[in-house]
Amino acid sequence: MSAVPAGSSMVQKAVTVDCRVSDVRRHGTFAVVSLVAPHLARRAVAGQFVMVAVPRGGFVLRRPLSVHAVRGDSIALLIEARGHGSAALAAVDVGQTLSLAGPLGTGFVTEGVQSALLVGGGIGVAPFQMLAERLAAAGSYVTAAFGFRDHRQARVAGAFDIPQLWVATEDGSLGRRGTAVELAETLAVQPGTVVYACGPLPMIGAVQRWAQSHELTGQASLEAHMACGSGSCHGCVIETTAGYLRVCSEGPVFDLRMVIAP
Amino acid sequence: MTLPQTPDQHGKGEVELAVSLGPLRLRHPVINASGTFDLGEMEAHYERDFVADFPFSAYVPKTVTLEARAGNPPPRVSETACGMINAIGLANPGLQSFLNSLPALAKLREPVIVSVGGSQREDYVAVVEALEKTLDSATKGSVPQVAGYELNVSCPNVRTGCLAIGTDPAETAALVSAVRPLTARLLVVKLTPNVTDVVVVARAAVDAGADCLSLVNTFRALVVDSVTLKPFLGNRTGGLCGPAIKPIALRLVHDVAAALPVPVIGMGGITTGLDALEFIACGATAVAIGAANFAAVDAGERIVAELEAELRARCLPSVSAARGLALPGSARSARDA
Repeated sequence: MSAVPAGSSMVQKAVTVDCRVSDVRRHGTFAVVSLVAPHLARRAVAGQFVMVAVPRGGFVLRRPLSVHAVRGDSIALLIEARGHGSAALAAVDVGQTLSLAGPLGTGFVTEGVQSALLVGGGIGVAPFQMLAERLAAAGSYVTAAFGFRDHRQARVAGAFDIPQLWVATEDGSLGRRGTAVELAETLAVQPGTVVYACGPLPMIGAVQRWAQSHELTGQASLEAHMACGSGSCHGCVIETTAGYLRVCSEGPVFDLRMVIAP
Repeated sequence: MTLPQTPDQHGKGEVELAVSLGPLRLRHPVINASGTFDLGEMEAHYERDFVADFPFSAYVPKTVTLEARAGNPPPRVSETACGMINAIGLANPGLQSFLNSLPALAKLREPVIVSVGGSQREDYVAVVEALEKTLDSATKGSVPQVAGYELNVSCPNVRTGCLAIGTDPAETAALVSAVRPLTARLLVVKLTPNVTDVVVVARAAVDAGADCLSLVNTFRALVVDSVTLKPFLGNRTGGLCGPAIKPIALRLVHDVAAALPVPVIGMGGITTGLDALEFIACGATAVAIGAANFAAVDAGERIVAELEAELRARCLPSVSAARGLALPGSARSARDA
């Protein structure tokens, strides 16, 4: 399978480490879980993910979670309690230990970007705190447009510290009524802005069409059900212009134009 | 669990872990199930030398088919209660790419068992012929030690071949008869549980010349999307694996091992050394680790260590001493050790 990664190439290899939970902050059904993980904090690139073992009896696959932020020797994960695995992870307490494998996958390319627009939907916003910081540190002007179902889901925006952060909800219960893409449409976007998209596939498709109509290039980080997270099982593929590509290995960050979305 | 002695009291003697699959000597009985542990990918992703420090006693790469296969549309995997379902569809870059990858495996000290799949009998024959030719003409040390083949006649996620062969005793026998003359290497047939009587297919394979049987591949299954109420997987159906299938797999390994004289590689939901020991008690000579590899990259070495501890805890001096204890006619029990 010919791999055409769009994200930054994987330069640092992954390790499996037991990490102590040092802080938990809850935002509605979301939790920002900070873990002491010097190795991962040093190596992770924005957009990369870790495979997290679920602290629960019996056979459970690890869950792929984007690195949300890096603070010194710690990394933070943003977790939405959705299924039994993510619910168990979102319920962890300070002092508990989680097994993390990572960093894995490609990251976002952040070099040479003058102006960046981050478009995220739902839990897809997870990697954008780290991305916004890395872009800002590299001199980019960063604007973020986040879309949520309703004001309850939008509470996660409180976990972010991005100066130009705009929020929309589909039911209009918080911020502008509409989707993240409809919100982006209302923002003054400079020519040459690089679009970073993360969220469910239909949202990626909408961002793709919008970016194309404004002649903007971009990168998309994709979600998928994963088993191994490291290329062995071929379980997490998405359809791209280069055929089926694995989200865990060729992704999760792809050139926005490559993704075939509904 | 009540054990005759504690491991601490009787942990001094060496436990013999080595086993023989016919002529093939393995340093311990734990190998990987095809498609669940890709050595090249593990090396590429993890900061660890998996070639020098290979956890399994033999390496079974992902199933090779004559032509490249893109595999099934996504989604391809979903977790289920105590297991997972997959419908990968034998995605692989094809025979030529596999042949090109052989030199990269040359440093591997463990033997390789090549898993072969196909849409029809001729595909399997072509793959084995090409591999035999390549291996015979290769200079020593330029390719890994290919000890045998595993004929995958049990993938439930492809439309033609594979499962259609493995559910039919006559087709299975015809395939084994066609491949047997091509190689002197160990010939393993990987059986499907998706049949009324697995022993009938197993016997057909052995009568046609198979040296060894591996079982079970996954059980055909379906997951419904809770929102749309449609089948979740892109392929609609998939194969179920993981601890959910272990008791059924144990029964099938037990039935085959009791009925036939060839060594059996047992698999289906093994996540601990005790699971491995249960398969050995049901007559397996070796065991394969599948879904557990997804949950932890060190599953193989952990299970080997646990197996050794489980044997020691029962004062069993070797894997062979535990083999078949659960089979009919075995008067011994682990308590007699």
